Amino acid sequence: MGSSRLMSAINHFGPDDQMSGLLRAIVESSDDAIIGKSLDGIIVSWNGGAQRMYGYAASEAVGQPISLVVPEEHRPELERIQQEIRAGRRVASHETVRMTRDGHRLPVSLTVSPILDARGDVIGASAIARDITESKQLMNALVASEERYRSIVESAVDAILVIDAQGRVEAYNAAAARLFGFAADEVIGRNVNVLMPEPYHHEHDGYIGRYLATGEKRIIGIGREVTARRKDGSTFPVQLSVGEMTIDGERKFTGILHDLTARVQLESQLREQAALTRLGEMAAVVAHEVKNPLTGIRGAVQIIGTRLPAGSRDAEVIKEIVSRIDALNDLMKDLLLFARPPQPRIATLDPLPILTMVIGLVRQDAGARNIIIDLDGSSPPVAADAELVKLILQNLLLNAVHAMAGTGRIHVNVAVEDQTCAIAVNDQGPGIPPDVRAKLFTPFFTTKSRGTGLGLSTARRFVEAQGGSISIDCPPGGGTSVLVRLPLAAKS
Amino acid sequence: MPNSSHTKRVLVVDDELLIRWALREALEAKGYVVTEAADAAAAKMAVRVGAEPPDAVVLDYRLPDSSDLTLLAAMRDAAPATAVIMMTAHSTPDMVSSALDLGAVRVVSKPFEVHEMVDFVATALAAR
Repeated sequence: MGSSRLMSAINHFGPDDQMSGLLRAIVESSDDAIIGKSLDGIIVSWNGGAQRMYGYAASEAVGQPISLVVPEEHRPELERIQQEIRAGRRVASHETVRMTRDGHRLPVSLTVSPILDARGDVIGASAIARDITESKQLMNALVASEERYRSIVESAVDAILVIDAQGRVEAYNAAAARLFGFAADEVIGRNVNVLMPEPYHHEHDGYIGRYLATGEKRIIGIGREVTARRKDGSTFPVQLSVGEMTIDGERKFTGILHDLTARVQLESQLREQAALTRLGEMAAVVAHEVKNPLTGIRGAVQIIGTRLPAGSRDAEVIKEIVSRIDALNDLMKDLLLFARPPQPRIATLDPLPILTMVIGLVRQDAGARNIIIDLDGSSPPVAADAELVKLILQNLLLNAVHAMAGTGRIHVNVAVEDQTCAIAVNDQGPGIPPDVRAKLFTPFFTTKSRGTGLGLSTARRFVEAQGGSISIDCPPGGGTSVLVRLPLAAKS
Repeated sequence: MPNSSHTKRVLVVDDELLIRWALREALEAKGYVVTEAADAAAAKMAVRVGAEPPDAVVLDYRLPDSSDLTLLAAMRDAAPATAVIMMTAHSTPDMVSSALDLGAVRVVSKPFEVHEMVDFVATALAAR
């Protein structure tokens, strides 16, 4: 039996042999479990480390099969080890699980080596097992800690990036992916300047170089509002703060970017509102100071006109003066309407009779004589101010008439869309170039030779004051389509 | 139209000379007797208690010494039988309804047709 040959090989080192005594002491004092076993897996030696680790005394373990400390689920692994050993091969250090006397599973690092006799035949094996419970726990704690930090970074609302000293992106969190539109794998490894518009795009490498050369901090630890660029090329404002760290001797920079789009929009809205409030106050004063004398001039000139021979040249001039005064007054009215829009008095209205009435009014406009205006569709009642709705629709229809150069068809459609009443005014005019379309709602912007540029901006103020929206589209088929959406009245 | 037994008297209150002149010319052409006031103090004198009040007042909302409806209220108090037509360069729905509540016959926006204003006066007086 291999077992007896191994025993004799072990016993060959007699107790009085000095070398043997030293080796025994070394083996015995090891914290690792060192076990000798025969080719058929019977334990032939069992050191103090094995006793401490597995809980069996040498007297209990020796003579037992090695499966004593191998849990059921690891038996196939044991079989493979035995095959390797019989083939004379060493089983290198690997992690596995062994079982203690009380059934506890123990993570171990295990090395098994064949024992050869003087002729070079394999006669048994030595197994050295190290308890790796602590390092395993340490590793688990490390993984958990890493996971915790990763989830903090990944769940952050702000975009977090790490770049190296060459500006290459090393880390890029989920918020960054949302904000920039690039997936992490599209950015990691690339220069961070892909996230920047010009001039930063080209200058950023220089910023890092200058900092590394001079140590002068222009943004690190300071933070600043900058412009960032999305994958689609659009730009947006962010608050950028940059931190610096050294990992394994390498300089890294962490950037945290807070999206300022909403705040900047809000600020610009507030500025616009403040400007409109001031304009409103000014307009009220100007309107009074202008309309009062205009009324006097108009009345006095008319009285004088009645004293001139009817049909005379002078009487005609008086009529001209009066019409100029009326034009000035219309301008004042437009300005006041825009600057001091009336507070909407919201009521439940049927939009169709209002549309029919406004279309009737617009048909009387001189420019609309040869234009067909038709109306179709339907909508339940809306919650809106009848006077404002009239003004809005009249303005839009007159715009459509003026765009049509005298002939064609204006199609007005009413429908329910997204729980709103959608009123579309479609004309067959030349349409509006995109660069002009962007400015249409800007106060005082006009393409007409005689116009205040207040019609659409006033219409938008009115629509929004009633909780609605207005948009302008130029469909590929030609013409212009203005869409007004008004809130539907709550069902009673 | 004023009848022969009693010539109707109209007070025009506005700080704008041309408005007063135009209304006076147009009203006098229709046979009314017109007096003018350029501010609230003069208007109050013209409608004070005890004097014979005008039949109608054409009253500007905003005057150098008055920019609310207290003048209208005072006139209504002093001369309840007098018809008051308000004029204003910038009306708000609230102001219009308050003026009507205080007893103004109507609120006319500036600028207006002078002859329309004369018609409004005639209509207001005919209703009395």
